Amino acid sequence: MRSERNNISGFFKKHQLIIISIFLALFSLHLALTDKKEVARGYVLKEILSITVTPVQRFALGAQNIVKGVWDGYINLVWVNKENESLNKTILALREENNRLKEDVNLNSRLREILEFKEAMPFKTVAAGIVSYNMERWTRVVTLDKGKDAGIGKDMAVIGPTGVIGKVLDANSHTSRVLLITDLRSNIDILVQRSRIKGVIEGNGTSGLVLKYIRQVDDVKIGDQVLTSGLAGIFPKGLIVGEVSNIEKGTDNFFKHIEVRPSADMQKIEEVLVVTDTGFFEE
Amino acid sequence: MKEFLIFLPLTILFLTIKSALFPNLPMPDLPLIIVFYMAYSKASVEGALMGFVLGYLDDAFNGGIIGSSSFALVFIFLAVHLTSKMMQFTTPGTRAIGAGIAALVKGALTYAVLRFTNIDVYFLGHVILQAIITGVFAPAIITLLMRLTSFTSPRRFKGNIN
Repeated sequence: MRSERNNISGFFKKHQLIIISIFLALFSLHLALTDKKEVARGYVLKEILSITVTPVQRFALGAQNIVKGVWDGYINLVWVNKENESLNKTILALREENNRLKEDVNLNSRLREILEFKEAMPFKTVAAGIVSYNMERWTRVVTLDKGKDAGIGKDMAVIGPTGVIGKVLDANSHTSRVLLITDLRSNIDILVQRSRIKGVIEGNGTSGLVLKYIRQVDDVKIGDQVLTSGLAGIFPKGLIVGEVSNIEKGTDNFFKHIEVRPSADMQKIEEVLVVTDTGFFEE
Repeated sequence: MKEFLIFLPLTILFLTIKSALFPNLPMPDLPLIIVFYMAYSKASVEGALMGFVLGYLDDAFNGGIIGSSSFALVFIFLAVHLTSKMMQFTTPGTRAIGAGIAALVKGALTYAVLRFTNIDVYFLGHVILQAIITGVFAPAIITLLMRLTSFTSPRRFKGNIN
């Protein structure tokens, strides 16, 4: 009997690990397979865990939120800042490109307009761009990007699609200066389109024109179109100069004081045509 | 007992952090790796009990069926223990393969238990991914566990016989 007990005890000792493991495995299996019954397995352990572990989990989550907050709020902002700078540069580049494209469209439109005007002209012209403005207190002069090499010479008429611009003051090889019709020194022989009254138009030094030598009896009204007469031989006949905007009785009681608004806006012109044909005397 | 006191809080900490911060991130199965390590290195009743307790904790943390992971881990403990009599898990490669296979076995056993309790489960892909990750990380984690246990062991010097 003792020997049998020793044998059993020895067997158990020899294989205790396997026996206990099998027992634990079967016990676990029992727990698992009966877990769906009303008696909730692990209730006590879960309660203990909820009491002991949940604060740790909350702490961990809090720490994670703090780290995440610091990361999102500060460290990550470094990259956001860099990204922002990059985007700003891109926006500036795109704006610049957009402006350039708009300028190209405008230039294209203006060039097409001036080309059509050039083709409609019965005389030779040279297209030129304005490279600088000289709008001092009384002078109204612009510089063109073409000069003698392009056939431009002194006293040649400068016109645009909207009307007369001025005449060439002097010309160099590659540039030339244009005296605008609004300059005090400018005077052009004109005629009033409706009544065919002739006169001389001068610049007032600002942005307007003054029509001179129109008698009190002459038929000129506000709104009349003023054209070049072709008498001086500089401007071809019939180019529009402006429109009568104001008429007053002159101080000498003989001539009227007439103000004319130029048809071409001198502040906005960018391309002009220089009439290279000369000798436009009225036939 | 020493391992139990080290690995139990370690597992609780791991499960706490995992469930709180990385619930959807595939991570190595630390309880399984601990059981695997215990099974081939220091197989004892303590190891089997640890498998049961860690599995119980695993189920409690993950909200699974209590006993399913315990069953799987105890089974794996026994299987690895018996296997270790025939082959040594001394190299990183064998540890990785062994832990990976153990993870697959754990998945299969959990699947079987859940199916037996009439719960529909569709996690084969998850089991394979978990096995791969566990296998990849197992050698490094086992090395850390070994360091941890040796660090807490009293040091003996040759000259300090008395």
